[in-house]
Amino acid sequence: MKTGTLFAKTIAIAALASVAFTASAFAQDAFPSKDITFVVQAAAGGASDRTSRAIASEMEKDLGVSIIVENRPGATGTVAFAHVAEQPADGYTIGFGPVEFAIVENIGYDFDRADFTYLGQIMNSPVVLAVPANSPYNTLSEFIEAAQTKELSVSNSGAASAFAATAFTLAKTTGAKITPVPFDGGAPAVAAALGNHVDAVTAGAGETATAFADGTLKVLAIFADEEHPRFPGVKTAKEQGYDLQFGAWGGVYGPAGIPDDVKATLEASIKKAAATQTFLDAITPAGILPAYRTGAEWEAFIATEAARYAEILK
Amino acid sequence: MNALLDGILAVLEPTVMLCMGAGVIIGMLVGMFPGITATMAVALASGFTMTLDPVQGLAVLLTIYVAANFGDRIPSILINTPGTPASIATTFDGYPMAKNGRAGLALIVSALVSAIGIIASMVLFAFASVPLAQLALKFGPSEMFAVVILAMTIMISISSKSIAKGLLAGVIGLTIATIGRDPITGDARFTFGIRDLNGGLDFIAVIIGLFGIAELFDQLLTHRQFKIKPISALGRWWPTKSEYKQIVKPTGIAGLVGLVVGIIPGAGGDIAGLLGWDRAKAASKNKAEYGKGSIEGIAASDVASSATLGGSLTTTMALGIPGDSVMAVMIGSMIVWGIQPGPSLFVNQPSLVVTITAIMVLATLITLAINLVRMPMMVKLLDMPVHYIWATVLVFCLVGTYATTNNMFTVIVMLVFGVIGVILKRSGIPASPIVLGLILGPLAESNLRRSLLIDGPAGLVGKPISATLISLALIAIVVSLAAPIIARRRAKQAAAAPTN
Repeated sequence: MKTGTLFAKTIAIAALASVAFTASAFAQDAFPSKDITFVVQAAAGGASDRTSRAIASEMEKDLGVSIIVENRPGATGTVAFAHVAEQPADGYTIGFGPVEFAIVENIGYDFDRADFTYLGQIMNSPVVLAVPANSPYNTLSEFIEAAQTKELSVSNSGAASAFAATAFTLAKTTGAKITPVPFDGGAPAVAAALGNHVDAVTAGAGETATAFADGTLKVLAIFADEEHPRFPGVKTAKEQGYDLQFGAWGGVYGPAGIPDDVKATLEASIKKAAATQTFLDAITPAGILPAYRTGAEWEAFIATEAARYAEILK
Repeated sequence: MNALLDGILAVLEPTVMLCMGAGVIIGMLVGMFPGITATMAVALASGFTMTLDPVQGLAVLLTIYVAANFGDRIPSILINTPGTPASIATTFDGYPMAKNGRAGLALIVSALVSAIGIIASMVLFAFASVPLAQLALKFGPSEMFAVVILAMTIMISISSKSIAKGLLAGVIGLTIATIGRDPITGDARFTFGIRDLNGGLDFIAVIIGLFGIAELFDQLLTHRQFKIKPISALGRWWPTKSEYKQIVKPTGIAGLVGLVVGIIPGAGGDIAGLLGWDRAKAASKNKAEYGKGSIEGIAASDVASSATLGGSLTTTMALGIPGDSVMAVMIGSMIVWGIQPGPSLFVNQPSLVVTITAIMVLATLITLAINLVRMPMMVKLLDMPVHYIWATVLVFCLVGTYATTNNMFTVIVMLVFGVIGVILKRSGIPASPIVLGLILGPLAESNLRRSLLIDGPAGLVGKPISATLISLALIAIVVSLAAPIIARRRAKQAAAAPTN
């Protein structure tokens, strides 16, 4: 008897849920009229996930529909990218596009930038070069000069990352003997520098800020256009005579062919959400900086980045 | 003294207690669900705790962390399916105990020693975090490589029936571990153009497949239906006085192993559980019992893996370097709350350190109490007809695995390894060394190659910690290979003796 009632209840709930679902699916008027899915290419918990959830919750307030964040990690993000590309281009599936958008096509993945609609860049996490507190080097040029005479090891978060690319490019442009050592994530890369297992680390601002504040790491340079609020007194690489910019940037994208009116609604919403104080409060403590570009500007920027990575990763 | 009082008072607030209650419920459910990890639960919960007070938020997140660690053991013991890699070693003796009708005893012992492990590690956290964290930094790539090699020697001791078959399984594990992207150059290896293989095989899917699904398929394929029930009876709950005495030594030895491994960044509950079980076995008088349902074995594996919790908190709080993936998510939340982990935390906010310790200890005690009290309810659950139990297990495994990546490919991997698991089972090849190879292989490879990049071959033998650990590994291999030969020779002599 008891199982019978439970069964009946389950069916009743399921039926109610389906009615509610179909009801909303039929109401097709102005965009958006139903829930939007926001695909994140990384597991819950990291910087991509944090930024995505923050922008999604601000866009929710603006668009008046729910935005469901869905994590589809795997294969350097390409599992998520391919999934989004295959969805209907109606604006109801969007996702977080990280710096890998400019990288994966250069490391053997089946990836075409034309498969997507670009809706706007929202953030940038600049790369920094840091050395242990007891390191003899205090400026970027001291470090480079030393590396021109002897081999120096520089840890990073993983092969074919923006962080590894920074070390490679620094070596190539200055003729320094730098050995990039990829780790499994930013935190172990920073730990290797703290423990003096490597001579330096290239990492995100968020991963190095703690150790910098405690004085256990010296940050020699920031690879960005401007100085970073989390690293007072640290000069950019350009100010020190090395004109190099690298960052783990990110934005919002959808499948190719989103109609212009829907695209305009989403772009406007993203621009508005990316400027809210709530969004800034969610990302800046992790060392991420706001960096807005329109969809078209971002698409052009990705093309130049991709050309640069093609050169580096060759 | 003020910091101590302030820290403890902060936890005793009603809202904080309420948060801990929520954390216990979420954590226990998550732990029991194979595939759903504490990391996922904490990551999702952190979305909601962001707006809370730091202490309230920490109460929810840390309690999930603790409660999931307890819940994790239950499917390992009852259905041979580790909820997360941390409880792989729990299956060695937990499931055989359950099959022998001693599931109740296994569950109680596991809960008791897990609590001991966590509390002991929190004592270390409270008093010695800063110096221990400095020790943790000594573990670079070459030291990590040595730790992993030492852990790999366990492949021999868990292959109790046939060393050859155990090592064969280990090689299978190491081989499938190379699928995916090269850790240093980023090149694709053995992906056969399949995009989903680029990230390598999801080891949670492989574990659930090889253990849970394989067991289930095996049962379904057996013509004499359900001859072996999943759990026929739970049996006696509480250990006898002599059993308590019996578990003291393995708990002590494995607990120490867990405390040490916990401090090492990158080595977590899985490696600790395996090493703890192995060291306790080596020191035991009843070696032969291990792996066949030894109460000592389950005490050793679970105290060791639970004792890593305080260690990962130590590196997280004292260095700002997450000790495991749950802690990586926690750091994100703490930064938003304005708590900056690092050595200065212990100087500037000692009361917060006390609060964290108090939350962890209290969460452990509450979860232990619930675990001990609600066991009789589980008896009722297991009174269900066997086919309902297996159906539930299958649904749990499918849903849990899908939830790890939201990708059907992961579910297919699980089912394929379920089939492989049945074939291996019927050929007498053990599954545990495969999982060991899959988890330890990439760690060994990437750390070896990093170490070679940095210092060349000299880095491995020239550093005291790695040189010591590699020597220990060599000794372990020689001893475990020589032991059966010596035993056989002795047996021969003993057989020959009476005729003389």
